[in-house]
Amino acid sequence: MSSDFFNLLERLVNAGVDFVIIGGFAGVVHGCTYVTQDIDICCDFKPATLLALQKAISDLHPVHRMTPGRKKLKLAEQTCGKFKNLYLDTDIGQLDCLSFIDGLGDYGEVKQESELIEVEKMKMRVLSVDALIKAKKTMNRLRDKEAVLQLEAIKKLRKAERDIL
Amino acid sequence: MLKPQRRGLIIEGMTAKSKSRKATSKYPEAAEIRAAIDYGIDVSMLVDNIRRSYSERIIRHQIALNTAEKLKGARRL
Repeated sequence: MSSDFFNLLERLVNAGVDFVIIGGFAGVVHGCTYVTQDIDICCDFKPATLLALQKAISDLHPVHRMTPGRKKLKLAEQTCGKFKNLYLDTDIGQLDCLSFIDGLGDYGEVKQESELIEVEKMKMRVLSVDALIKAKKTMNRLRDKEAVLQLEAIKKLRKAERDIL
Repeated sequence: MLKPQRRGLIIEGMTAKSKSRKATSKYPEAAEIRAAIDYGIDVSMLVDNIRRSYSERIIRHQIALNTAEKLKGARRL
């Protein structure tokens, strides 16, 4: 089945989930040219947030994609506390939810490093280019090298565009 | 092939293919852009992208992803 990241984001926004787009998809939002197969978000892992997230995607057959047997997502208020991250697969794409980002901190700190953007009349937050570069440099993964180079070039190009206009 | 110069922003020498040509910039050449070009990144595509809206970027990414997913399922006839 084809993924539909826009639909995933729309569901989260409409459900009132407070989140920040991070990771590779944040790079795409900022203008990177690569293709990524999942959406990464950082959110508050309070039970209310996770239950709202679960409800938003409940009809998409969400499963824990990294568990043996790909267990169904079945969160309850009492069990929410045991999760630090959720790596989910749904009918319309993978959704990874993180409570903490190395180099940046928890959701509160990540939110401070984010920008509010509007996509199709929906407001959502995306990690800033600077914070994204910082996070990717902290992780220091080989696969992030190109992303960092693209993001650093984007910073300069944006500035050049601003100076010209 | 180099794209024409647009709105005064660098275009010539923005891709790895044209690496041997001297990049002609309307602003001081940034090391970050040189590094991207040297790595093989097509910076003209980045320029195109930053001129698009967030929605356009997401839609174009989705099209690319869906195409890649379809191609994964392709088989030789």
